[in-house]
Amino acid sequence: MAVSAINASHEAVRARYESVDSVYRETRDLRLLGFVLFLISDVVIFSAFIFAYLYLRNSVPNWPPINKDGVQLPRFDVAFAAINSCVLFGSGATMHYAMESWKKLNRSAFNLWMIATIFLGLCFLGGQAYEYHSVAVTWQGSTMGASFFTLTGLHGFHVFVGVIYLIVLFLQANRGVYTGSKYFGLTAGTLYWHFVDVIWVALFYLFYLM
Amino acid sequence: MAVAAAHAGAILGDHDHIHPEPQGFIRKYVFSLDAKVIGVQYMVTAFLFFIIAGLLAEIVRTQLLSPNGGFVSNDTYNGVYSIHGSAMVWMVIIPMMTGGFGNFVMPLQIGARDVAFPWLNLISFWLFPVSALILFSSFFVGAPDAGWTEYPPISVQGPPGTSLWALAIFLIGISSTMTGLNFMVTIMKMRAPGMTFTRMPLFVWASLATALLNMVATAALSAATAALFIERTFDVPFFDPARGGSPLLWQHMFWFYSHPAVYIMILPAFGIVSEILPTFARKPIFGYKMIAFSSIAIALLGFMVWAHHMFTSGLAPWLQLPFMLLTMVIAVPTGIKIFSWLATLWGGKIEFTPAMLFSIGFLLVFTFGGLTGIFLSAVPTDLHEHGTYFVVGHIHYVLFGGSVFGLYAGLYYWWPKITGRLMNAKLGVWHFWTTFLSFNATFLPMHWLGLAGMPRRVAQYRPEFQLWNDVETIASYVLALSTLLFIYNAIESLLRGPKSPPNPWNARTLEWQISSPPPYYNFKTIPAVLKNPYDFGEPLPYIGLDRELDGQPPGNGHGEPAPAHA
Repeated sequence: MAVSAINASHEAVRARYESVDSVYRETRDLRLLGFVLFLISDVVIFSAFIFAYLYLRNSVPNWPPINKDGVQLPRFDVAFAAINSCVLFGSGATMHYAMESWKKLNRSAFNLWMIATIFLGLCFLGGQAYEYHSVAVTWQGSTMGASFFTLTGLHGFHVFVGVIYLIVLFLQANRGVYTGSKYFGLTAGTLYWHFVDVIWVALFYLFYLM
Repeated sequence: MAVAAAHAGAILGDHDHIHPEPQGFIRKYVFSLDAKVIGVQYMVTAFLFFIIAGLLAEIVRTQLLSPNGGFVSNDTYNGVYSIHGSAMVWMVIIPMMTGGFGNFVMPLQIGARDVAFPWLNLISFWLFPVSALILFSSFFVGAPDAGWTEYPPISVQGPPGTSLWALAIFLIGISSTMTGLNFMVTIMKMRAPGMTFTRMPLFVWASLATALLNMVATAALSAATAALFIERTFDVPFFDPARGGSPLLWQHMFWFYSHPAVYIMILPAFGIVSEILPTFARKPIFGYKMIAFSSIAIALLGFMVWAHHMFTSGLAPWLQLPFMLLTMVIAVPTGIKIFSWLATLWGGKIEFTPAMLFSIGFLLVFTFGGLTGIFLSAVPTDLHEHGTYFVVGHIHYVLFGGSVFGLYAGLYYWWPKITGRLMNAKLGVWHFWTTFLSFNATFLPMHWLGLAGMPRRVAQYRPEFQLWNDVETIASYVLALSTLLFIYNAIESLLRGPKSPPNPWNARTLEWQISSPPPYYNFKTIPAVLKNPYDFGEPLPYIGLDRELDGQPPGNGHGEPAPAHA
């Protein structure tokens, strides 16, 4: 299509909508409510799998159960998971400071804290990978393994998506997408990252301490 | 053209919720962002699947003509009734109710130009035909054979199509969750100025309650179907008792969604009927707040009753009593609605249009279905009726007599608004009576067949049940043919129907105050709202609608005085 035609139709569309009155053009933050509701529905998905875990756990006399070959399964190793948890919670703290720096318009501190958050997130994923490699249960072998790998895997997937999201936010922020007053993407990223932390608190208690 | 449209959208800013009207066919009718177009897409697609799933039901009924079956093989029969149930629930009623009417009517009724997240809406819609195709294609690899509930261990061991079933239901669940989220934000944040919660039309209240259920309960369904898919695909033990899993776990996870799902299917119908009854009785709705709040009460209580589907599954006896009592408690908000509707009709100047007939028919048969629900909720009678045709009769009275009658009522009511053309009312009345009579002849005998002991989901049955089964089958053919009257009426109306005035029924909600069909942007000026819309006989409670009709006469075009604006 010729450029002039594009411009003409563009102008026509624009004229039409400028004639529509502007009552509606107010800045209600729909996205924040939408994002919080998304997190709530995500909580429901985690809750359903946690319910399944507790249900399976309570349907056998002893926990950890015996696996399909009749071998008594050990408990999960708390020590390594505790260190790895500290890494994830630490990334929550760095994310908090990143956001605070952004609000204070301190770009260089924001960048440093964001890089720290992304690094800690990757460390947590590495720790998860190491634990998957070294843990005594398998996904298919028992209901314990089924619950453990499904729930921590779902959580790990959320962390993975979160790390990618944070990288995108980092790049966007440095390309000037967000300003000192309009930074919903960063707010959503922070909310999401803290949400992933909180879910991990529940999973850590359920699998390692309970 | 699409490029230009997208460009203009960027210039207008992110916060105006008016994406410019696309000009090309694809962007206008296929990948549209406009909630009205998406609503019609949902309706047309869901009606297509309604025909397919209805034909599957006719295969079931034809098989049951003879006690020895023989029309299709037993395996095919299992697949046919499983897909019939799954498709009717997930691909017909839920998309039609929430996606169809929710998208078309709800934004208009709250005076909005679109839903909160048009792109999310577009994705929600397109997940729907994709998941339906996956569901129906399971016939080619061996359809799931454990009914629409897919209980393990049968579903774990079932044919390959069961995995496709789980995938399809997972996808439509994601789509429902997104629609619920979208509608929650739309209703909470985008109502016209002055439209407080207690001034919202009752269909909007019903949509709000449904959106809550869609958002929360459907996420649990996604988890359940994901677990089933993982178990079948990767051999991970969740439900297989041989490896420490629990079949009951599936029943809990499934019914935690699927009991609220029956309210997802019926609450919008409550909303539709609450719009139609006062309009055609020409009376204010009785008990506006009671009807509104009882929708929320039903939605919340709906989360606490799922285990009443499991009374015979080995549920702990101490759990049975609370689930039985909570289930019976749901009859209270439902009863409040029924009595409010009856009081709305009482002394009204009733016009028996097709929409009104279907609404009154809804009242009759849904109440009957609700009463048999009380029988089923009581543990002692449920032990006798569980797994029999009594349950089949009950579910069809509430889902066909309730939801589908509500859908027909809504289609007749909003047809002029959606298409800009009127339907043939006489044909509509014929459609109602043939549907109503053949519906009862089809599903009423199921109750006594069930009480006499005929189990559900069987391909063959004892010869003494043949008489009523044959009556049901023949009536079901009439029921299927009566649908043709609607289809003919719809096509005839689209091709040659008289043009509809903006407000053919002299109704008072906002969508009737603008032209039929509504313009792309819905409202030139967002109106202000002073009261709830049901005070028939008083001036309309809106300010700022005088520019909407561009000189078209308001009202129903029959010379009756149009209601004046405040």
